[in-house]
Amino acid sequence: MSNKNTTTTASGIQIRRKPLGLRIWNNRGHYIMFLPVFIFVLILNYWPMLGIRYAFMEYKAGGSPSWTGLTHFERMFSTSAFWSAFGNTLVLSIVKLFLTTFASVIVSVFLNEMGNLFVKKTLQTIIYLPHFMSWAVVASIFTLILSPSSTGMINGMLRDLGILGPNDSSIYFLADSKMWRPIFYLINIWKDTGWGTIIFLATLSGISPELYEAADIDGATRLQKIRFVTLPALANTIITVLILNLAKVMNLFESVFVLYNSAVYDVSDVIGTYIYRQTFMVARPDYGYSTAVGLFRSIVGCILVLICNKASNKVRGRGIV
Amino acid sequence: MAEAKVAYQKPKKKITVFSIVNYVVFVILALIILIPMWKVLVDSFNSVGVYQFRLWPSDFTLDGYRVILGERGLLRPLMNSFVTTIAGALLGLVLSTLGGYVLIQFDMPGRNLLAYFLLFTMIFSGGMIPEYLVMRRLGLLNNMWILVIKHGINVSNIVLMRNFFEGIPASLFEAARIDGCTPMGIFVKIVLPLSKAALASIGLMFAVAVWNDYSTVQIYINSPDQVNFQYKLRVMIMDGDTPPTAYPISQTTLYNAGIIAAILPFMILYPFLQKYFVKGVNIGAVKE
Repeated sequence: MSNKNTTTTASGIQIRRKPLGLRIWNNRGHYIMFLPVFIFVLILNYWPMLGIRYAFMEYKAGGSPSWTGLTHFERMFSTSAFWSAFGNTLVLSIVKLFLTTFASVIVSVFLNEMGNLFVKKTLQTIIYLPHFMSWAVVASIFTLILSPSSTGMINGMLRDLGILGPNDSSIYFLADSKMWRPIFYLINIWKDTGWGTIIFLATLSGISPELYEAADIDGATRLQKIRFVTLPALANTIITVLILNLAKVMNLFESVFVLYNSAVYDVSDVIGTYIYRQTFMVARPDYGYSTAVGLFRSIVGCILVLICNKASNKVRGRGIV
Repeated sequence: MAEAKVAYQKPKKKITVFSIVNYVVFVILALIILIPMWKVLVDSFNSVGVYQFRLWPSDFTLDGYRVILGERGLLRPLMNSFVTTIAGALLGLVLSTLGGYVLIQFDMPGRNLLAYFLLFTMIFSGGMIPEYLVMRRLGLLNNMWILVIKHGINVSNIVLMRNFFEGIPASLFEAARIDGCTPMGIFVKIVLPLSKAALASIGLMFAVAVWNDYSTVQIYINSPDQVNFQYKLRVMIMDGDTPPTAYPISQTTLYNAGIIAAILPFMILYPFLQKYFVKGVNIGAVKE
């Protein structure tokens, strides 16, 4: 029996393979079933990859493309708005990721200590709610609440408390370079902390009760049990969550797009919004240049995914893709 | 038996400082989540816009909702949202179940190749502008069906489906095959009926993604007849672009009613389907 004609099944048994032609024929139904998926992926994911050539071409709206080499990249790397957008992408994504993960861990640890099951379930239902709101809705809610107009809740409360005098003008929270980032982080925490607890709560429910019983016998207090039993059990999950999300750092777009404005570009503009503005908010879009910026974004994203995939393989023995 | 049970006794539940602090912290947490939402809800029923947080509207009115359901400029986007959400969830389910099922055919030549064909798109993409140019070539600009098509194919959901299907005992497939069942027959008669929970979870993930999508509309659609409700709401609030109306209500009332209309469908479904929503996360992340 030659090696070519045998295969090893999942359970480790060697079986004889049928000839390739016959196997293809036997699976004809499966190929046909895959065809719709194949066509969609080919058109929607692979066809655009051919468009990457525009990054090396002169291609403005209405004109026809012609090769220019690396001029778009030279322009990109010498534009300060691009570097600012790149820096903002990294800072906003990473700080947001660490803050929401930290908040999720804290909330799930304390939720886990909640003895009353009904209260626990109700709380879970409440804190998951904001996850189902779109960024457009969340931005709308907070735009109204933070509004400097007479109906803005926060400005109104500051007036009532005397922090803002009758002659002071209202605070433009979302148009202030100093306040925009903290507000962005707070809104992200509001929206995503609850949903983030799901994965940690799943891990916590898997901790053997014997560990807590042993700690009880040793006379551990509740806080000591959290410190020495609960948190160590979460360590792996925390690392997993961070790795999974670090891979998506470059994707940041919609949450910034709905909250930023021209007054705060210096602290809020990210690569995604920069590409958008360079293309759709100018009189004559330069597709070549914005494709080049997009290619940079894809490549950095790709490198991050590969690094995180390696890290994931190391930490938990399986990749993320 | 009885002796074994008393060998270890859990300490009696008593009211400790810790548990009081815990309750207080969670009351505050719940309020932080609920206050902005309650403010929006109350203001949507209040004909005058005020900044105060109140538990109940003072000038009760339903006119905000009447405007949304009566004005073509708002009703049309709402209808578009419903149509695209249902169509998107259905297309997404068809493609992700087909893809997931074919990926577990271990006997199929080229299966790994097809898997890599899909997985590569998770690592690398053409980017926003090449995608835009392809959609323009396909004639999908200014067309709400772009929402359905763009969300219908989602490689990570195909992978989730595959993970779920892998849990179905292979002996079931084998038995059906011996009985002369075709691949499509096995798929429809065995795989799908056994996967109802996964279908609900992943179908909901598709539905939420389409309903909540704002940036696709922002990039691809200008025509007021083709936009979805999220986009319309955003434009209304940011640009003050409200339709002229005969009702005596403030703009804020209409804005808040719009926000409620944009979240209502999933808020109604959510308490009943919470376990499916949660399950979607867990098949993806905690699966071993």
